[in-house]
Amino acid sequence: MKIYLVEHAIGAFAYDEQGKLVDYVLNSKDLGKVVEALIDNEKGMPLPSAKELLSKLKPDEVVVENEAEIPELQKNGVKASLEIHNIGSKAFRQSLPKIALETKFTSSEEELYSFLYEVSFEYTRRKLRGAASKRDLLAIQAIRAIDDIDKTINLFSERLREWYSIHFPELDNLIEDHEMYANIVSKFGHRDEITEEGLKELGLSKEKSQRLLTAAKKSIGADVTDVDIKSVRMLSDTILELYRIRRELTDYIESVMREVAPNVTTLVGPTLGARLLSLAGSLEDLAKMPASTIQVLGAEKALFRALRKKGRPPKHGVIFQYPEIHTSPRWQRGKIARALAAKLAIAARVDEFSGRFIGDRLNEELKKRIEEIKTKYAQPPPKKVQEEQPKPKHKGKKEEKRKRKNK
Amino acid sequence: MSEVVKVEKTEFENIYECVYNDGTTRLCTKNLAPGHNVYGEKLIKISGIEYREWNSFRSKLAGAIQKGLKKNPIVRNSKVLYLGAASGTTPSHVSDIVEMQGKVYAVEFSPRVVRELILVAQHRPNLFPILADARFPQYYRALVEDVDVLYVDIAQPDETDIAIRNAEFFLKDNAYLMMAIKARSIDVTKDPKEIYKAEVKKLEEKGFDILEVIQLDPYDKDHAMVLAELK
Ligand SMILES: C[S@@+](CC[C@H](N)C(=O)[O-])C[C@H]1O[C@@H](n2cnc3c(N)ncnc32)[C@H](O)[C@@H]1O
Repeated sequence: MKIYLVEHAIGAFAYDEQGKLVDYVLNSKDLGKVVEALIDNEKGMPLPSAKELLSKLKPDEVVVENEAEIPELQKNGVKASLEIHNIGSKAFRQSLPKIALETKFTSSEEELYSFLYEVSFEYTRRKLRGAASKRDLLAIQAIRAIDDIDKTINLFSERLREWYSIHFPELDNLIEDHEMYANIVSKFGHRDEITEEGLKELGLSKEKSQRLLTAAKKSIGADVTDVDIKSVRMLSDTILELYRIRRELTDYIESVMREVAPNVTTLVGPTLGARLLSLAGSLEDLAKMPASTIQVLGAEKALFRALRKKGRPPKHGVIFQYPEIHTSPRWQRGKIARALAAKLAIAARVDEFSGRFIGDRLNEELKKRIEEIKTKYAQPPPKKVQEEQPKPKHKGKKEEKRKRKNK
Repeated sequence: MSEVVKVEKTEFENIYECVYNDGTTRLCTKNLAPGHNVYGEKLIKISGIEYREWNSFRSKLAGAIQKGLKKNPIVRNSKVLYLGAASGTTPSHVSDIVEMQGKVYAVEFSPRVVRELILVAQHRPNLFPILADARFPQYYRALVEDVDVLYVDIAQPDETDIAIRNAEFFLKDNAYLMMAIKARSIDVTKDPKEIYKAEVKKLEEKGFDILEVIQLDPYDKDHAMVLAELK
C-alpha cells in the first residue's frame, strides 16, 4: 500500500492514491509537546503521531512533503518519496476545519483556530527564545514602571477628585473607579454637559447613569468657567493617558514574559510572573532559588521580623496574589502556597536552562494538588490555645480596577 | 487639525474611505481590535464603529489600491498566507478586511520584527504569527492550510521563486497571488520596468494569469504590485 502522509499541528493523516482518508492519529493538545514535535520535524523527525500511524498501517511506500524526514523514514525500513501538495495534502489542507471536526480533534471551528493560534504563538516564541538574552530585565523594568504608574494614578486621582468636587462634589461618592471618574471629567467637563448617551458610551449601567444625572441636576457644587474646567481636564486627560500606557505595558510584559519565562507565566500569569522576576532580580536568580524562598519572596520584612522575634514565618509573599491562594480559606493558604512555589521553582529552572514548554503539564499537576488540598483540608483545623499569628505583609494590590482608599 | 466628517464605502469589500472636513480622503478599515492601533495610525470612531486610517505610504496594498487596483482578492472570509509580515502594518489591515472568519497566516523570519508582530497579533485572533523562512514552506506546512490568496512582500532577489514555491504548496485552484516587487532588491543596475517584465514572465511560465501590474510610485519608489491568478 502506498500512502500520502500529511503532518499537521492537529495530527498525522494517511491518504490513499484516490485522495481518500485511510487512517489518522491525532496529536495531543499539550502545546509544549506539539511545538516540540513540529520543531523536531523541521530537522527531519516525523511527528510522533506520524510514527504511530505508520506502525499501525505498515505501508510499502510513503509520500511526504518534508524532504528532511526521508532519511529517517528509510532508516526505519519505509520506502519514502517527496511530492509536495500531493493528492493527500491537498485534500487535507483544503478542508482543515471540516477534518478537525470529523475526527473530533475539536468540537467547533473556533476551538480549532484558537488551538492553532496558541500553537503558532508558542512555536514562534520558542524560536525567539533561542535569541533571548537579558530580555527578562526588560520585563522587570516594565513591571516596575507599572508600579510607579499605579502610585501616580492614585496620587493624581485623589487630587482630581478634590479639585473637581468644587464643581460637582456628589460625583466623588457615586463613582469609585478612578478611570471612570477621569473619563467623566474628560468627556463632559461641566456637570450640566453630562448626557445619558455619553455615559452609556463610557459603559456605565443605566441605573448608575440615572443616579448620576439626577445628582448633576441637583448638585450643590459651585459654578465654574470653561477656563477652570480646562485646567481640571489636563489632569484627568493625564490620568487616562497613564491608564492607556499601563495597558500597553501590560501587553508588552505579557509578550516578553511568554517569550523568556513561558512556564512561570503559564503558572501565575505575566504580571505576577514579572513581579517574581523583579523580586528575585532576574530569571537566573529566580531559577537558583529553592522553592521555600520563592514561597516568601516579597515578604522579607515579615520574614525578618519573625526571625528576630522568633515568631511564625510568613506563609507567602507576593504569590499571595495567586487567586487560588487569596480566595481560599486561611488554613489552606500555606499549603497551596507551598505547592505553587514548588512548581514555580521547576518552571523557573526549565525557563532558564532549557526553554522547553512544560507549562500545561505543570499547571495541570498544580491544579490537581490544589484540589487534593481542598478536599483533604476542607474543615478548619481545631483551634489551639489562642496564639496570635503575625499577619504576613503582602503587596496584594488589586489589578486593573483600582479601588479607592478609605477616606 | 483636519477632522474626519464621514466614512464611506469603497468598491472593495471592507475597505472604506474617511472624508476629512478639508475635502481630502484616506483609506481606512474597520478595527478588529478596537482601542488598539498598530503603527501610530489614527483611530476614528463614527456612529459606534471604530476605523483605522490606512497609510498608503506605509502599506503597499493601500498604495496599490490608491493607484487604481481593479480587483482586490482579499475579502471577507479570505484565507491568506502572508509572506514578509514584518511588524504587522499591512497584515493588521488584512486581518481587519478578512474579519474573524478569515485567517491570516503571517510568516516573517526576522526575530526583531516578529516581536512587534506578536504584539499586534495578541489582539487579533485571526492573525497567526509564524517565525519562519519563506524559502522553506515545508517548515510551516503543519501550521497553515490552503489559502485563497498568497500575499508576498519579502524584497528578496529570488522572491518570485519563493512565491512560486509557496503557491505550489498552499494555493488553492483559481486562487490569487499578490506580490510586491522591489526592483532594486532584484537588480539595482537594471531598469525597473525590465525587471517587472522578467518576473511576470516567470509567473506566467508557472501557470499564472497576470491580471494587473501596478507601479506604486509615489507611495513606494521602484516598486510594483503584481496580481495574478493561478490557473
Ligand atoms: C518590505 S518588508 C514587509 C512589509 C510588510 N509587508 C508590510 O507592508 O507591513 C519585508 C519583510 O520581509 C522579510 N523577509 C525577507 N526575506 C524573508 C524570508 N525569506 N522569509 C520570511 N521573511 C522574509 C523581512 O525580514 C522584512 O521584514
